[in-house]
Amino acid sequence: MYGSDGFTIYDIQLWAEGLSVTLSIFLISSFLGLLLGCIVGLVRYYRVPIIGKILMMISEFLKNSPVLVQLFLVYFGVPALIAFDMTPNLAAIITLTGNTTAFIAVIVISSIEAIDFKQLEAARSFALSERLILSKIIFPQSLAIAMPLLVGLAINQLQVTSLISVIGVIDLTRVGDIINQRTFEPFLVWPIIGATYFIMAKSIERIGARLERRFSAYHISNQI
Amino acid sequence: MIEIQNLHKDFGDLKVLKGVDLSIKPGEVVSILGGSGSGKSTMMRCINGLESITKGKIIVDDFDVSKSNDLREVRKRCSTVFQQFDLYPHLRVIDNITLAPIAVLGQSKEEANDKAMELLNSVALGDRASAYPSQLSGGQKQRIGICRALAMNPSYLLLDEVTSSLDPEMTAEVLDILKILSKQGITMISVTHEIEFAREISDRIVFLDEGRILKDLPKDDFFSESGGKSDPRIARFLSKMGNV
Amino acid sequence: MFDLSSMTEYVPAFVEGFIVTAQVSIVSIIGSFLIGVIVALMRVSTNKALQFISLCYVDLFRNIPFIVLIFFSFYGLPEIGVYIDAFWTGCLTLSVAVGAYVAETLRAGIINIDKGIIEASKSFGLSKFRIYQKVIMPIALTTSVRPLGSVFINLILTTSILSAITLNELTGASKIIASTTFRPFEVYVFLVIFYGILTFILSGIIAVWHRHLNKYNGVA
Repeated sequence: MYGSDGFTIYDIQLWAEGLSVTLSIFLISSFLGLLLGCIVGLVRYYRVPIIGKILMMISEFLKNSPVLVQLFLVYFGVPALIAFDMTPNLAAIITLTGNTTAFIAVIVISSIEAIDFKQLEAARSFALSERLILSKIIFPQSLAIAMPLLVGLAINQLQVTSLISVIGVIDLTRVGDIINQRTFEPFLVWPIIGATYFIMAKSIERIGARLERRFSAYHISNQI
Repeated sequence: MIEIQNLHKDFGDLKVLKGVDLSIKPGEVVSILGGSGSGKSTMMRCINGLESITKGKIIVDDFDVSKSNDLREVRKRCSTVFQQFDLYPHLRVIDNITLAPIAVLGQSKEEANDKAMELLNSVALGDRASAYPSQLSGGQKQRIGICRALAMNPSYLLLDEVTSSLDPEMTAEVLDILKILSKQGITMISVTHEIEFAREISDRIVFLDEGRILKDLPKDDFFSESGGKSDPRIARFLSKMGNV
Repeated sequence: MFDLSSMTEYVPAFVEGFIVTAQVSIVSIIGSFLIGVIVALMRVSTNKALQFISLCYVDLFRNIPFIVLIFFSFYGLPEIGVYIDAFWTGCLTLSVAVGAYVAETLRAGIINIDKGIIEASKSFGLSKFRIYQKVIMPIALTTSVRPLGSVFINLILTTSILSAITLNELTGASKIIASTTFRPFEVYVFLVIFYGILTFILSGIIAVWHRHLNKYNGVA
């Protein structure tokens, strides 16, 4: 007998801890990514020279390379370069924030560009301040356009968090791995872990659908 | 012979056809007139089984449209030309025409191609055989639509508002072809807004109103003051369509 | 600081990893495409049971992280007597998982086809099979080249996760290089750029192919 096989009551506790790590890192990186992504998107939209181009190029590489490699770069690569004490959790947050930022920036730009250009010209011709144009005209309409894209991104990024288990973050997937290694019950462990993710994704989808309805109603009533 | 008996068609609570009786003999050219919402297009769609029948019967040459075994035979005999052309966008003109003859009638590729070229030449589009539909004008597309229908050697040609999507010039080029066809003895059933055209080619005019046949008369009777025009609804319709 | 000069001796190992990535990708693209076509047809069929099964399949595999699926196969398959190596476990799991995305993409292509075109083909007596074979699938496939391309590029990026089940594909091979050279920063920056350029080239090819195949729509 190798240690104790079979499940214990502590496995439920472990599961709950993993779940909370997954959720916290998801929420933190989504929030930071949303913030930074809007900034990057606006920097690009207002064609800030050089910086805008560089940021978009970095975004392209973050969008078009595996998140796992990005995690390795931040967790193993950065400390080797600048002698920094990197923890798995910090590396996870940095990487996922960067990755989310890249996607948000693109959504921000495409949502702004989807707005009818004549409206903006009209607003500018009335000498509305750029800040007012941004907050009263661009932002509400862009949000309605961006909402479905943001919901899709959130569901995707939730799944992406599972990769942080590979660099040692004790998230939901890692908890599954730990319990699986001990119990050798893959047909029980992984379906439970999978179901947990499934339910989380479906919850985001449901909340997202409600938000979409709200913002699209706003969008339509504003157009009349 | 097409025999429509007590045809009813509902869409949910909406009753579109409320008991239509109509029979069309081989060689006849019949135009179906009526305002929008009168059910004329729905009736056409029922004939080749694109809409299921709520009640009643349609028999085409002894084949019952509502029997799935018969439907294929019905469709072999009736070919439709559509308002929106509905050509296969991914196929070249020639393949648009030969698809059904090869797949349904079992013609060889050469046989189908020869027939298609013959038809294309007859509508003066022989040089566009290898073009894609998107490269053609509306009038050209509809001429291809007619060729595609004729390639099936149909006993009955169903024309469903074939000029409604065309501007006047293109309408003329399509109608000219249909006029020639109408003289060649093919049975034609045409739903149309072109009163003058209906008057020129038809043997009979059927006027539909709110899902029922209001009048079913030989052409000359229909357009006479004592015939069709004696009905105020038909008179109003004709004057609205610019025909006094 | 940033130094790649000492890396030349690791080029063969990197190339080897790339070959494994290419092999897994090609097999899985074929596999997921075949599964996707079948599931898409089930999704649009009129049979309620087939609709339900295919919907569950798509919903499930699009909402569970790939790494969970790959661990399930990697540890689960031997338990039921299926002994296949990491390579084939990866191909199998990728095909099944990505098949769900392929199915949704194709389904979108199918339901976006103008109804009139399908009715026209029905009206001439074409059988259901012929309509799918000659009209629906050719149109859906050509209009879906670009979105399908995105799905398959994502598949290629996802192959990196197979390094977690001991497959030394591009990422796995690079990890070994990083730890033997003590130059993880250079190795991973290079790897990010490598994947990025690979994706860029493939997107370009797909865009050209898409335009070429959709010429009939007046796209070009």
